[in-house]
Amino acid sequence: MSGPLLAIENLHVQFARSEDQVYAVNGVSFSIHENETLGIVGESGSGKSVMLMSSIGLLRENGKITAGTANFQGRDLLKLRPKQLEDIRGRDIGVIFQDPMTSLNPVMRIGDQIMEAMLTHQYAGRKEAFERTLHLLHEMGIPDPKARFKNYPHEFSGGMRQRIMIAIALACEPQLLIADEPTTALDVTVQMQILALLQELRRKRGMSVVMVTHDFGVATNFCDKIVVMYGGQIMEMADTDQFIRKTMHPYSLGLKRSIIEVGHRGKAIVPIPGAAKTMTQAPAGCPFAERCPYRTERCDNEVPELRKLNADHYIACHRAEEVASLAV
Amino acid sequence: MAGTAAATSSDVAVRKKNRNRSPFYQGWKRFKKHRLAVVGLAWVVLFFIAGIIGPWVAPYDYRIGDFLAINQGPSWTHIFGTDNVGHDMFSQILYSIRSALIVAVGATLVSFVIGVVLGLWAGLRGGLADAIIMRGVDFMMTLPGFLFALILVVLLGRGYWSLILAIGIPGWAGYARLVRSLVLGMRNGEMVEAARALGASQAHIARRYMLPNVTGSMAVSLAFGIPGDLAQIAGLSIFGMGLQPPIPSFGNMLAQAGDNILGFPWLLYFPAGIFAITLLAFLFVADGLQEAFNPKGGH
Amino acid sequence: MAVATFILKRFVQIVITLILVMSVSYIMMYYSPGGFMNTTTMATVLAPLQGQNPILYQQVMDQFQSRYGLNLPLWQQIVKYVWHELTFDFGNSMQNPSLTIMSQLKQTLPISTLLAFGSVLLSVVVGVPLGIVAALKRNTWIDYVVGTVSLAGQAIPSFVLAVIMVLLFGVALPGILPIAGWGTWKDAVLPIVCLSAANIGVVARYMRGSLIETLRQDYIRTAKAKGVKYWPMIYKHGVKNSLTAMITVVGPQFAVTVMGTIWVEQIFGIPGLGKVMQSAFTSFDYPLAITSVFLLGSMIMIMNLLVDIVYALIDPRVKL
Repeated sequence: MSGPLLAIENLHVQFARSEDQVYAVNGVSFSIHENETLGIVGESGSGKSVMLMSSIGLLRENGKITAGTANFQGRDLLKLRPKQLEDIRGRDIGVIFQDPMTSLNPVMRIGDQIMEAMLTHQYAGRKEAFERTLHLLHEMGIPDPKARFKNYPHEFSGGMRQRIMIAIALACEPQLLIADEPTTALDVTVQMQILALLQELRRKRGMSVVMVTHDFGVATNFCDKIVVMYGGQIMEMADTDQFIRKTMHPYSLGLKRSIIEVGHRGKAIVPIPGAAKTMTQAPAGCPFAERCPYRTERCDNEVPELRKLNADHYIACHRAEEVASLAV
Repeated sequence: MAGTAAATSSDVAVRKKNRNRSPFYQGWKRFKKHRLAVVGLAWVVLFFIAGIIGPWVAPYDYRIGDFLAINQGPSWTHIFGTDNVGHDMFSQILYSIRSALIVAVGATLVSFVIGVVLGLWAGLRGGLADAIIMRGVDFMMTLPGFLFALILVVLLGRGYWSLILAIGIPGWAGYARLVRSLVLGMRNGEMVEAARALGASQAHIARRYMLPNVTGSMAVSLAFGIPGDLAQIAGLSIFGMGLQPPIPSFGNMLAQAGDNILGFPWLLYFPAGIFAITLLAFLFVADGLQEAFNPKGGH
Repeated sequence: MAVATFILKRFVQIVITLILVMSVSYIMMYYSPGGFMNTTTMATVLAPLQGQNPILYQQVMDQFQSRYGLNLPLWQQIVKYVWHELTFDFGNSMQNPSLTIMSQLKQTLPISTLLAFGSVLLSVVVGVPLGIVAALKRNTWIDYVVGTVSLAGQAIPSFVLAVIMVLLFGVALPGILPIAGWGTWKDAVLPIVCLSAANIGVVARYMRGSLIETLRQDYIRTAKAKGVKYWPMIYKHGVKNSLTAMITVVGPQFAVTVMGTIWVEQIFGIPGLGKVMQSAFTSFDYPLAITSVFLLGSMIMIMNLLVDIVYALIDPRVKL
């Protein structure tokens, strides 16, 4: 197996606010290989989207990458000029976003929005791009592509719009798809359809997918590998099987207990006490310490390293081994 | 929030303590940040002072022209020069400021009062009253107020009161719409709900809870209203339908001087310059207020 | 089909508004103390006749009254008058009884229309790019200059600007552009500039605000994610969406432009509708005065209708 498709090393991102700095991402490293699906899980504000958006140059204006590298096909994305990134975005890396209701241009025909991706990157000529758009619409399960080509976004339902978003992201057959909460804004039944569609498209194309989600179930059903983030740091990273069977981090355990799963009848849902807070200072200890039932003094004063437990399992917790035995 | 409880002595003490946090103090702090708005405010204050004390400081009577000194350029005896019948331009301008302010402030108040009353009525009563008033608003908004003002001047004449009414009456629609929307926004607010539950009358609710809350928005719309009316009164004069001469007014000066501009441009320099700067000053103030009290609203 | 229904509906609304405005105008003119009967040229000219030959005087007056329908009850006068106006049968002016109002309008209306539409065009052509530049360079000196200049343009009414222009091109820089009269295209330059100043300001300010807001939208991020280049992104995704938001706010502003023509014509001595209207109002020439109100009102409402149609053409979400 060759090297990873995308490897992020020691990424730090900060946001400038009028009064202070927000430490959004604090030293994150992970990689994704070809034909792999990676799920990044965490509460809102955990820095999971920011991390990915910053690596492809879609950070908001007040955001700044303060350290790190993001190697993609042998190039560090963080060192590329904006123009070079433009060439990569949409061609080699496709992106779908959370809210399909607001993510499509309301005054542009959807067909044109799909074609635009191909024309921008000279992926296809006008005629070819048109044919391909019809094919993509068909592939996304949108009936009567020829007629629908000319429709505007407001003439579609949320699920249909997300299918159009996927068509846009896949127009140039990227090797990597970043899906930022692709199903969060949708009804549950539609969520399932979109996930199934994504799964099928991924298999057919053999592309890699990074899926950002706060939904544990979505991540474990869809992904080969799970990354749990909190406070801009990775808490736990493991193969999905490993992760399900041997969850080790107190935060991951908390997340697992706080969701309803089929077959867990009778088990109480236990929410994690407290709420994720905005970090306005560089972390001095474990970011989860405040809400952690296993907190010790060390947790407050020493940032836990992401350490290797075995080939498929990494964890950032001083007391991981003890916790695992305590929490059964 | 301060002001919801009845005013007692302890309340006064609390209020003093909270002064630095009051919306007005905060607004003033934000207002001060806009340099142009502060400069504009200084000019507006000066303009008002000139309008009030004008008759006492004007060196000449506005009605009497010096026939031996017509069309003179600026000099020590007539610092802004004289016009074609020997009126001292400086005195003319002082009196024009006065007449402009009387009409503009008067007309704005007339529009405002009608607008607030109808807006409150529409917002509080709803139903048929609301429907009729809002149809009226739509009707008034279809055409510029100036057109209605013109027609009203024909009926009412060209004195102070006539012009105040002619400009003021057509201007109510904007205020009415604003007040109604503010009322509707608050009508179902918790505070009002609570007051209603306690059995407060509608008039009491309007006076005690709604009016204080809308002061900011009102101040902004008034600040935009006065320069608008200043322009209207001058526009009527240009049209020959403004204040009846010999009452001096900016519009009349601008209209008359157009005839002999090439020979005696100073007849225009001062009135046009002062009038333009004044309108600008008012707008800067209004813009500053907008950003200070209503930062999300507007543009 | 839907468009036709929409236009028809709006047309009916316009007619109803015009009927209301004309009726109100008529009643006010009727009751005005300077009433049209005793201030018309006709009455003044005929005054000596009243003493010499009362019968002839009465005959002439009756003829005059019946020509204008003044001998009927008020409500009949109104109905009759409004009907005539709506069928473009404007009758004769009172100052110049020999001239039909129509013939006066044929000369003046095209001039005013040219000024108004010229100004709308100029405001959009100048205001939109200014707003775009201010939005893209926001919080830089360019933004502040554009902001302050557009505020100034908004604050200063067209007639004051016209006076300033007359001073500038009449006294300070004579001979570059004509400051009075009507004939060549050069005569239209200053009036159109004066009329446009306020609108350029309004258009630029709203365009700026609207574009800044648009560029924060999710679909802009989608465009970036597609790899769309900067300028195509600004134009195809930013500007197009901002225009729809701007038009709703700025559209009604153009009514003010139409109104402004009457002042600007006054100051630049242009023989347009404004000139006619002014002489009609100051001399209580009621048929001409109400007709000019009728025309001005129609122009404004047609302008607003056009704006709505343009809006619907740009934004597919708007159903007419």
